[in-house]
Amino acid sequence: MTHSPLFILCLALAAAPLARAEAPAAAAVPAGSANASAPGSAAPSASPSLTAGQMKEAARVDTVTIPSPGELMTALNKEAKPNWQSEYRPPIPTLYNSRVQIALNVGTLIADGYIALEAEDSQQIKNLGKDIITLAKSLAVSESVIARGNSIVDFADNNEWSALKEELEATQNEVKLALEQQHDTDLVSLVTLGGWIRGTAVVSSWIASNYTPETAKLLRQPGIVANMRQKLASLPEKVQADPLLRKIAPALEEIEALVSFPTDKAPTEEQVVKLKEITSGLVTEMAKKQETK
Amino acid sequence: MKSAFHHLSSRPSRSGSAGPVPSHRARRALLHGLAALLLGAFSLAHGAPPTDAEVKTRSEALEVAGAFSNDGFKIRDGHWNATVSKEKPALIQVNLYAGNQYWFIVAATGEAKKIAVSVYDENGVLQESEPYENGHQAAAGFSPDVSGPYYIKVEELEGDPAAFCLIYSYK
Repeated sequence: MTHSPLFILCLALAAAPLARAEAPAAAAVPAGSANASAPGSAAPSASPSLTAGQMKEAARVDTVTIPSPGELMTALNKEAKPNWQSEYRPPIPTLYNSRVQIALNVGTLIADGYIALEAEDSQQIKNLGKDIITLAKSLAVSESVIARGNSIVDFADNNEWSALKEELEATQNEVKLALEQQHDTDLVSLVTLGGWIRGTAVVSSWIASNYTPETAKLLRQPGIVANMRQKLASLPEKVQADPLLRKIAPALEEIEALVSFPTDKAPTEEQVVKLKEITSGLVTEMAKKQETK
Repeated sequence: MKSAFHHLSSRPSRSGSAGPVPSHRARRALLHGLAALLLGAFSLAHGAPPTDAEVKTRSEALEVAGAFSNDGFKIRDGHWNATVSKEKPALIQVNLYAGNQYWFIVAATGEAKKIAVSVYDENGVLQESEPYENGHQAAAGFSPDVSGPYYIKVEELEGDPAAFCLIYSYK
């Protein structure tokens, strides 16, 4: 393994400013009552409930609040044994004119990396690592990401799957940090968005073909979509006017409805198919070269 | 959830000189900590340099999280820096998947003498979790039955206002 201290240093450097930049001030909530008894073995002083106001004011930090695609795949692995290789897609272009599109596709490629990781396919991971670097170059964030890409190749060569999972996320955060440093903060959340859409497309695709209510329940992600819609709505009008985002924004509204089912119910097979179609359509749309005016 | 903190009571040094932590894991954990400690030295290269407290608490949180790696937990790269006091606990939303196991780990600065971490569901109801408390470090192990949003609360039980870092791991 050649995971040098420099790479680890980059990891820490990458994530530290991101977390502070995205985090609102720590949400102030009333202290838990001293005599509150938690069920089971919860923290001894914890208050038994939160108010709606407290939950609304809770901090939301992109790199903590939004799960990685790998978390959803890990959960699906507990319920089933997906053939992850069947969820591969053909290589996508690595040259786009729109920075919005590039940012979204960096996210989708990272998600592809998680799929290859679940398939334990080192060659596919290396191919994706190269594509990520190429895309990152067009964002002019390549230096730090190249280091990550090399690290991914090293881990893949050594079949260090566990380390690769952490490295993939670190790569994504590296890109986000670089974008922030270039004052391209508007693009940061698009990397996350692209990754989440691709991850959801893959998992919903598998569940649609192998439907069970239990696996379908994994698709319940209302908080994530609400968070992402809020982020999109807060982008400058110029960015929101991007043709691709104008297709994604209304689709997210549909997606939110599909992943916001009650906790005691599973989505129907038809609903899962619908989710797959919408998210897969967006993935295709993101990868497609946009027509220039 | 099977406790992973049995590693903590006799946790090996990060060099892996004792205990069952695989060598590459130990090396990674050591390097994570080293990187966090070196953050300050490179702060001028970045517009928003991390504070000493952020560097130190993240390093400590990663060290605690390293104990779970032996049980297959993957550490998320993201983290949350904030402040906590006895009067003002801190709250963050996370989104979890049923079937996965999670550890939410917090390390605070020395001003905090005792802190605690607890988990609430999307309705604000306290959830059963496996607690770990060690002075200014604490964690909560949690396995959700339902996928969706949850809230992690960091409380200071004893001490003065303190900065902290929260990270989490999953498997």
